[in-house]
Amino acid sequence: MKLLTHNFLSSHVKGVGPRGFPLRLQASEVRIMPVEFNPDFVARMIPKLSLGEVPTEPIQGYEQNEDFLRTMHHILLEVEVMEGTLQCPESGRVFPITRGIPNMLLSDEQTEA
Amino acid sequence: MLSPALLSIAMESNHQSNCKLNRIEKKFLRKQIKARHTLLRHEGIETVSYATQVLVVANGGLGNGVSRNQLLPVLEKLGQVDALLMPPSKPYSFVRYKTVEESKKAYVTLNGKEIVDDLGQRTILYLNYVEKAQWKELGLQTFPPGLKVVEEIVSFEDEKLLLESINWTEDKNNQNFQKSLKHRRVKHFGYEFHYENNNVDKDKPLPGGLPDICDSILEKWLKEGIIRHKPDQLTVNEYEPGHGIPAHIDTHSAFEDEIISLSLGSEIVMDFKHPDGVTVPVMLPRRSLLVMTGESRYLWTHGITPRKFDTVQASKGHKSGIITHDVGDLTLNKRGIRTSFTFRKVRQTPCNCSYPLVCDSQKKEPPPSFPENDKEASQLEQEYVHRVYEEIAGHFSSTRHTPWPHIVEFLKALPRGSLVADIGCGNGKYLGINKELYMIGCDRSQNLVDICRERQFQAFVCDALAVPIRSGSCDACISIAVVHHFATTERRVAALQELVRLLRPGGKALIYVWAMEQEYNKKKSKYLREDRTSPEKKEEISSDTSVQEMLVEQMPGVGNQDSAYSVPSINNFQHGSCNSKKGANSKLPIHTNRTSFHSQDLLVPWHLKGNPGKEKSIEPFGPVGTHDASPVFHRYYHVFCEGELEAACQALSDVSILQSYYDQGNWCVILQKVSSSL
Repeated sequence: MKLLTHNFLSSHVKGVGPRGFPLRLQASEVRIMPVEFNPDFVARMIPKLSLGEVPTEPIQGYEQNEDFLRTMHHILLEVEVMEGTLQCPESGRVFPITRGIPNMLLSDEQTEA
Repeated sequence: MLSPALLSIAMESNHQSNCKLNRIEKKFLRKQIKARHTLLRHEGIETVSYATQVLVVANGGLGNGVSRNQLLPVLEKLGQVDALLMPPSKPYSFVRYKTVEESKKAYVTLNGKEIVDDLGQRTILYLNYVEKAQWKELGLQTFPPGLKVVEEIVSFEDEKLLLESINWTEDKNNQNFQKSLKHRRVKHFGYEFHYENNNVDKDKPLPGGLPDICDSILEKWLKEGIIRHKPDQLTVNEYEPGHGIPAHIDTHSAFEDEIISLSLGSEIVMDFKHPDGVTVPVMLPRRSLLVMTGESRYLWTHGITPRKFDTVQASKGHKSGIITHDVGDLTLNKRGIRTSFTFRKVRQTPCNCSYPLVCDSQKKEPPPSFPENDKEASQLEQEYVHRVYEEIAGHFSSTRHTPWPHIVEFLKALPRGSLVADIGCGNGKYLGINKELYMIGCDRSQNLVDICRERQFQAFVCDALAVPIRSGSCDACISIAVVHHFATTERRVAALQELVRLLRPGGKALIYVWAMEQEYNKKKSKYLREDRTSPEKKEEISSDTSVQEMLVEQMPGVGNQDSAYSVPSINNFQHGSCNSKKGANSKLPIHTNRTSFHSQDLLVPWHLKGNPGKEKSIEPFGPVGTHDASPVFHRYYHVFCEGELEAACQALSDVSILQSYYDQGNWCVILQKVSSSL
């Protein structure tokens, strides 16, 4: 699971709604998988991110700032969590990540109606 | 009267093909064989085919009105009778001759002999050789066949050591630990036992195997002939007074015949029940070994009633045996903490026992019916969608390799840097189509998601009714051949609503579902058009020629050879079947592949081939050529009528339909999320 993917995931436990984001990530095994750097692609991803307390407006001209983009590229696209857990911040429910795959299945009582 | 010479030929060789028997003689043979089986089945008398001194005389017993006065003279004519045993109330008796020769003479001469009983009624004697004169204990109840209890099988010291060897403290990292069940603590060794399906995962043995102390005890029992096979699975159960276990048969497909259970710490009464309703309570003394084989393992259920006192026989105390109904002798016994060590051997091949009605390997599942509520729908989907895809994932993936052009077109038209969710991504076929997109796939099947992962795609496991993606974050979603797996209208609409929830205002969704109408504008879909003999059909894992791929890869059901059905000519849509209301408890029909649909809700067969995804060592097939028929799985579908998908989408909030079309046996919709007034 890339960190970019993690940013789009949100807990779907019944009743938590938007308070289910972000899922608390605990990684016990992480791998770096090189990905070809595409500055345009990274630049387009940045506005989609939900960064919480951080001011949502990125710094002016970030699209041209190669160092910034490279750093974001590395963090968002090259870091892969292979083993770990994701935890719903509201309900505490834990979802495992195994072999890079999060298992987000809930039992019936826990799903949204 | 039958000629003895011919008879002896017939009896001594069991090969009827070598003898010319007339009709009467053949009939006699049948009766003799039947008598043999009856004796074995009901009375526990095992006959042998070689000559011995002892013969069982069927139809020559006190139980069917034959007296000693009548029978003995008849027997004595053939030789010197050492003994004639006539068990009371039994329709047979045993005769021992002084020599085998005399016994043989009697066998040949007296078989089929007619005698007259006390009431003047004629009866025919059937004789068979036995090893010894033996019959089941008289009494209302007997042990279930195949059951034995061996007392004092371990010493007090060994009992102590065994009990101490189990570490019950909760240790989440230890795979052997099982969270305690409602009634009792359990721990598994060798293989994990799963209570959801009462089976073991044969591909995932637990590390460590069986505890060492068990190993040496098992070896001892093997040497002493107490058990015939070495088990490789152990379940330790701790029963406190008041704990029990519901009546059950250990899953046939999970374990071999011999199942043994060691009782430590306390004695207990275990109930055995025959399907006819007979219940036999059996005392299992402390430090005894219960051995279940044959009928007692495969047909009778066993269980322990959750209670604190057992009713036992006062005179027998804690000795093994059946608790009778003799009211004068019964008393209560307070239970102590009993720990059972149940040893079993995991089965590697399907069960082929003689009790198919209770055998999960042999029994056909009852046909499912149309669900009437959400819970039933969920269960139907679990059994006929999720479980099936997990089983067929590898094979399924191999038949899903060609992306459909319209879907490729949709993806390629999306702006660079779009975030796209593929809900129900299967093997990830569409996740790599457009490198300019960030695509995340999810599917209900772990095995299919594993395949996505192998291809380096971003994917996770979830349910399409509860997708753990932020609302309004996706630029686009696709749902290809997914929504038709939901079993009620409400669930299908809920799945569509989820797609819309994920979209940002202005975002688009592409939905494909299987159409009821497999022929549109007088043109049959490829699914219908293919017939068995077309060469393209033979390949599932085809070469790269696009034509072949296109033809092979179709809707669900491709790659199945079904019986050759010629396609009925259909001019119009089958409007009659659409919008038909289902009667209560109506069974879901099983579809015949490559024919048109006659019902909107149905089961579609998938014939599993190979299994490229799994790495299993193949057991050599026995001489009986078993298990090479490819397994068939049934998948549930609700196929959509013209306009049905569109109407469902229109009913969603904040949605506008951009396009609605038919594509090769599918109804398709492209919708857009409109900005909602907040």
